[in-house]
Amino acid sequence: MNNYTSFFALVKKEVLRFIKVSIQTIFAPLISTSLYLIIFSYSFKSKEIAGYGVPYIQFIIPGLVIMGIIQNSFANTSSSLIISKYQGTIVDLLLAPLSHMELSLGMMIGGIARGLAVGTSIYLVSILFASGQIANPLLLLFTATLVAGIFSLLGLIAGLWAEKFDHVSIFSNFFITPLTFLSGVFYSVKSLPGIWSQVSLFNPVFYMVDIVRYAFVNHSDINPFFSLGVISSLFIILFGLTTYLFKIGYKIKD
Amino acid sequence: MTTAIKIKDINKSYGNLQALSNVNLEIKKGEFFGLLGPNGAGKSTLIKIMAGLAHKDSGSITVLGNDVVKEPKLTKKALGIVPQEVVIDPYFNPKEALRLQSGYFGINNNEEKIDELLTALDLQDKAEAYSRNLSGGMKRRLLIAKALVHDPEIIVLDEPTAGVDVELRNSLWDYIRKLNREGKTIILTTHYLEEAETLCDRIAIMDKGEIITIDTKENLVNSIDKKIVELNLTQDIDELPTFFNKYPYEFNKERKEINIELTKDNLIKFINEVYQSELVIEDIDIASAKLEDVFLRLTNLGGDKDE
Repeated sequence: MNNYTSFFALVKKEVLRFIKVSIQTIFAPLISTSLYLIIFSYSFKSKEIAGYGVPYIQFIIPGLVIMGIIQNSFANTSSSLIISKYQGTIVDLLLAPLSHMELSLGMMIGGIARGLAVGTSIYLVSILFASGQIANPLLLLFTATLVAGIFSLLGLIAGLWAEKFDHVSIFSNFFITPLTFLSGVFYSVKSLPGIWSQVSLFNPVFYMVDIVRYAFVNHSDINPFFSLGVISSLFIILFGLTTYLFKIGYKIKD
Repeated sequence: MTTAIKIKDINKSYGNLQALSNVNLEIKKGEFFGLLGPNGAGKSTLIKIMAGLAHKDSGSITVLGNDVVKEPKLTKKALGIVPQEVVIDPYFNPKEALRLQSGYFGINNNEEKIDELLTALDLQDKAEAYSRNLSGGMKRRLLIAKALVHDPEIIVLDEPTAGVDVELRNSLWDYIRKLNREGKTIILTTHYLEEAETLCDRIAIMDKGEIITIDTKENLVNSIDKKIVELNLTQDIDELPTFFNKYPYEFNKERKEINIELTKDNLIKFINEVYQSELVIEDIDIASAKLEDVFLRLTNLGGDKDE
C-alpha cells in the first residue's frame, strides 16, 4: 500500500453514501432507540438488576448503544454491497487498483463510521434519561469500534453471499436480531433460570453487551478481559474471512 | 517495450460451455485494435479476465509487461475499461462520480482532467445533475469519462456506442482518435462493423470462444474477392444482353438499375462487355467488399443461404 489515496477514496465513498441519506441511516434508528428509552424509563422506574446497583435505565443504556451499533454497522456494509451488486456499480470497485485487504478494510470503516455515529447519538440522547456517566471511556471507544467492525464484516459477508435484498434480511431477522435481544441487552444473563444462563455464553453478542456495560458502569456478568479476548478473536477471524472472500471474488467474479 | 497486451493460451469455461479456448493475442502499443464477433463469441469474457473481473481457467495475460493476476494494481492503473453494461451510482452526480473515480486511481486533485473530459464528452451541462435523470447516451458517456480519469495507457471500449446518437458518436470517436494519436492504445469491441472499419488498424474476429482471424483491416477486406458494380441506364429496356447471365445480378426495370457481383478478375472483362454492348450507361459505381462481408463469411452468420 504505497498510495493511500485509493483507499481513502473508498472510505470517503462509503461514508458519503450513508451521510447523503442520513434521515434513513442515522435519524431513523435514533428515533426508535429513543422510544425504547422513554418506554423503559417510565415502565421500569423502580426495577433493579441484582448486583449492579444502578437504576434499570442506566443498566440498559449500554445495551441500547451497542444494539444501535450492531444493527447499523451491519446495515451499512450489507446494503452498500448488495446495492452495488444489484446496480452493477461493484465493477467500479473491482476495476480500481485496490487490494482485497483494502476493499474489506475500507468498506468496514464505512460501517464502523455509521455504527459509531448512531451509537454516539443514542448515548447523547440517553443523557436526557440518566447521568451519562462512563466509567472507562477509552475501553468503551475501543470495544464499540471492535463490535462495529465485527458487524460491518458480517454485513460484507452477508452482502457478498446475498443474491437479492431478501437474503440480507434473512441474516438480520433470523440471526442478528434474536442474538441481540437474547444477549442481555435488557437483563442480566446471570438472572436467567436453569441452563439458559449457560446457553447465553454461546451467544457472541452477549460478550459485546457485557464488556460495553462494563465500560459504562464498571460492573459485568463475566470477566471483561475474557469478553475482550472473545470479541477480538472474532474480529480477526471475520476480517480474514472477508478478505479471503474478496480475494476469490465470492459471487462477484465469474 | 512495444507490446501493450499479451494474451497467452487463455481458457475459460462456464460449466459445460467453453467460453474461451486457447486464445492468443498480442496488441501493440499505440494500436487502434478491433475485437469483433457475434454475441457470445467471448469478447466480453476476454476483456473481463484482462480487467480482473473474471477468473481464467488457464493461460496468462500481461498488460505493459505485468501479469494481471500477479500485479493487479499496476495493470488496473494502466487500463481504462468502459464496461458494456451501463451502470451508474445514483448517489453521486457526474462530477462527484469522476472525483471519486480519480480517488480510486490514486489522484487527489484532478479537476483539470475532469473538466476536460466533461467538455470532450459534452457533459458539462450535466456535471451536477442527478445521475438517475441522465439519458442513456449521457450515462454511457459518463462511463467513458470515468474510464479515462486516470489517463490510462490502454483504453478498452466494450460496445461503447450502443444508444449514443450519431452526432455524439462522431464527437466521441474524434476524441478517442485524438487519444490514439497521442499514443494511447485503444481496444474496441463493437457490433457496428462500419465503426470498426473506419477506426481500427488491426482487427481480430472471434467466434465461439476462439480467435478465427487477426489481420490488418486492409488485408481482411482484400481477402474477399468481391466487387459490387451498380449500373444506371439512360433508357428503358426489357431484357439485358445475354452476357449478364454469366454473373449473379439483380435488375430493377423501373429504376433502370442493375446490381452485379463480380470477382476482381472478371471486373475488367465485364466492363469491356458492357462497353461493347448497346447499353447506354448513365452512371457506374464500383464498390469493394466490406468488413461486414469478411465478418459474415468467417462467422457463418451470413452463410447457409445455399444449403
